[in-house]
Amino acid sequence: MQNLLQSYRKNRTLIITLVILLLLLLLAIQGMSTRDWVVTLLRGLAVGSITFLVAAGLSIILGLLDVLNLAHGTLFMIGAYVGWSMYVRPDTVVDISTPFLLVLAGFLLMPLWLPLLSRLKLSRGTMRVWPWIALVAGLALLAVALTRYPISIWSATVYQDSPIVWTQYFEAGTVAENVTPATFPSALGALLTWGALLIGSMLVGLAAVGFAVARRGATAQAGRPATRPLIWFVVLVIVGVALYVVNTPLSGFLLGLGSNALFVLAIVVATLVGAGLGGLMESTLIRPLYERAIYQILLTLGLGFIGVEMVRTIWGRTGFTMPKPELFSSTGDGCPADSIAGWLQYHCSTIIIDIGGEPARIRTYNELFVIAVGIFVLIVVWLLLQRTRLGMIIRAGVQDSRMVEALGINVRRVFTLVFALGVGLAAFGGVIAAPANGLSDTMGATLLLSSLIALAIGGLTSFPGAAAGAVIVGLTQQFIIRYGQLGINLPFMEEPWKPSPPLVPASVILLMIVILLVLPQGLFGRSE
Amino acid sequence: MNAATTDKSPWRRHAGFLITVAFLAALPFILAVVEGLPFGSLLANDSSTAKFLQGLLIEVFILAVFAISYDLVLGVTGLLSFGHGMFFAFGSYLTGVLLKTFGWPLWAVLIGAVVAGLFNALLFAVVLPRVKGITFALVTLGIASVFDILIRTQEMNPYTGSDVGLQGIPRPDFLNPVDDRLRFYYVTLAFAILIYLLYKRFVDSPTGRVCIATRENENRALNIGFNTFYFKLAALILAGVTASLAGMFNTLYKPLVSPEIAGLGFTVEGLLMLLIGGIGTLSGAMIGAAILRLMEYYLSRWFGEGAAFILGAIYILIVMFLPYGIVGTWRLRRLDIAAGRQRLLSYFTGRQKETPDKGKL
Repeated sequence: MQNLLQSYRKNRTLIITLVILLLLLLLAIQGMSTRDWVVTLLRGLAVGSITFLVAAGLSIILGLLDVLNLAHGTLFMIGAYVGWSMYVRPDTVVDISTPFLLVLAGFLLMPLWLPLLSRLKLSRGTMRVWPWIALVAGLALLAVALTRYPISIWSATVYQDSPIVWTQYFEAGTVAENVTPATFPSALGALLTWGALLIGSMLVGLAAVGFAVARRGATAQAGRPATRPLIWFVVLVIVGVALYVVNTPLSGFLLGLGSNALFVLAIVVATLVGAGLGGLMESTLIRPLYERAIYQILLTLGLGFIGVEMVRTIWGRTGFTMPKPELFSSTGDGCPADSIAGWLQYHCSTIIIDIGGEPARIRTYNELFVIAVGIFVLIVVWLLLQRTRLGMIIRAGVQDSRMVEALGINVRRVFTLVFALGVGLAAFGGVIAAPANGLSDTMGATLLLSSLIALAIGGLTSFPGAAAGAVIVGLTQQFIIRYGQLGINLPFMEEPWKPSPPLVPASVILLMIVILLVLPQGLFGRSE
Repeated sequence: MNAATTDKSPWRRHAGFLITVAFLAALPFILAVVEGLPFGSLLANDSSTAKFLQGLLIEVFILAVFAISYDLVLGVTGLLSFGHGMFFAFGSYLTGVLLKTFGWPLWAVLIGAVVAGLFNALLFAVVLPRVKGITFALVTLGIASVFDILIRTQEMNPYTGSDVGLQGIPRPDFLNPVDDRLRFYYVTLAFAILIYLLYKRFVDSPTGRVCIATRENENRALNIGFNTFYFKLAALILAGVTASLAGMFNTLYKPLVSPEIAGLGFTVEGLLMLLIGGIGTLSGAMIGAAILRLMEYYLSRWFGEGAAFILGAIYILIVMFLPYGIVGTWRLRRLDIAAGRQRLLSYFTGRQKETPDKGKL
């Protein structure tokens, strides 16, 4: 009893805030019919799950690395767009994988250059100059080879070939008929282009090592050269060329797959691309800036803007949709279903259930699947944090990363891994959100704002806080949208007051400001 | 600072500033000469490339004032505010609404803009003592977003023109950039110079020193006995009023206000100006504003759509490799060079003194 009273006194503000939030929720529920509030609750939870997928990564990265990754929204968007590409145009992804693997193979040889360079005795002047020459030459080679590389891709500027039209082909099931495979005109051209890609990426890698050596001096230990990069190099080159050889049958097979399988593939590809981008970002751009806290924020902000421009050039400025997979899209026989079993039987896009005497339309993808994914990810990440060695290191690192480093753990590697994980999670969220909300070049900025709000509400570095904040943001948004349709009966007013749509984000922001003024650390944040 | 630099005459000490001012004052005439226009045509306000470039420079001056006010908050006082664009946008919109809807005279609008800046700064000051660091950034971003949302709502349409922006604002007779652009040029130039001098004075004053101390180590400043809140508030108010006035000039110059200036993008543009020039250097902010505006203009003329891409790449490169910006790096290097030269001189002089000593021994 004494303990209880003590912990109440300690957390009085928090408890009162939570109680007020709960009362607000009850008040909001009170004003609606049972059907309305159940549907609104589901929608709010769905928005909350998507927000959570972004906020979770953001919060872990902020906690462990002290980096507020403002590019997270853009990476979420890139995930969605990459997922769309794999889903609608798998042949394009197969086309791109060959040059991608070859360039990657070239970069993988980087560890070999250091011992090589340390053996060469070059004058300081030469050391200063040659990396620049190698860099320019490599980049020029890469640019020439990549622009010439035959890739069968949509066009961002021509409407007849735009993502919008390809989405329509996908819905009509005629993607395979409209694809024109892209191949090299001659075998010699293919060999030359591949050679240019390999040499170009090797030169860029060489230049990068050269810059490092020029700055710090070669410090390679004498010993046998590392063979592992060489093996990887050979493997990647063989896989890349093999992918080109089997390009047509593989594309045909992928195009013939059902949309469920393609959706799973899209999730896998987008998550991997996101994780790769995250790892790359951390190891090349953010790592040099750990000493300069504000600059990391500025850097990620700039990266976010660049990412948006990139998406605009590749996929175009106009938004489009991503068709839902078969499992959630049928409108034919037996649809709309009257129960979950009915949905599993007929794969309906909606379920109509009787709630409180009224029929409620619930969309299976938007309101059931998304929530299920959110809960699944919540549990998986929670288990990862609580039950694995990596999670233990992460939790310890959030507390005090210097101490963890002092205990002999390679924190840098964990940093890269966590950044990749967080970004991968955001990209995963992007693919999940795309069929529900469509794709547009503003989706990243919108979601970044709401997940930042969720973080601020929940406490910046707390994982349960991120989940709670995301749910609060989602519920607030959806209840206000619903009240915008229904109208609120306020005292002293003749007609019910209808909040206009722009007030939805404004209300969430105001909620955040109020909560932060009462609890500057957020609901579950650690006070410093 | 050693005696050698302080002994310089005031003319020599401020040579850079004076040359810049003189150059900017003469620039409309230089441009006219370059284009081959007679001065009479320049004074008669004929349309020409020179007049267009004057307009570009007027925008530069206005943005420079915005940038320097952001520098005072972010660079000098160290408040990570992501809502600074709101100060500018508020001044801009208020000027437009007061001139268009209420038909106020210019002097009243001026007072209104000052009061608006004060009000905005106080709005930020409400959250200032509670939240710090990233949370402060988020809250200011939130407040600015609420403002952005409010001006875009349909309810505000008669006043702010929602998504289209405020258009058809009457220009006052005295300050009319179309009829007499040269006068507008000199008014904005004088405004920018005045603000620069004011800021320089502020940062060099005891109050400004405490602001810098707050940025460097707030706890230490508190322990010395300064209530840092008041100093942060002073910086915020000064910056808020200045940015609001810059917004007023922005509306007067191009008599329309687009809602884009209320968004995060405009604040990020301000950040970019600071980064290019050097955070916390005051003059760097203004130089950065000039470089960014001119670069934006020419890049979009040469590259069209790709300009945003190039700007983004420049941004990243500056963050990675030129963290102190142009002015900041120059200051660092200048000290290095001066120190190196002195070491060299003392090495030589020392040796010259040493050798006779040795000879005596």
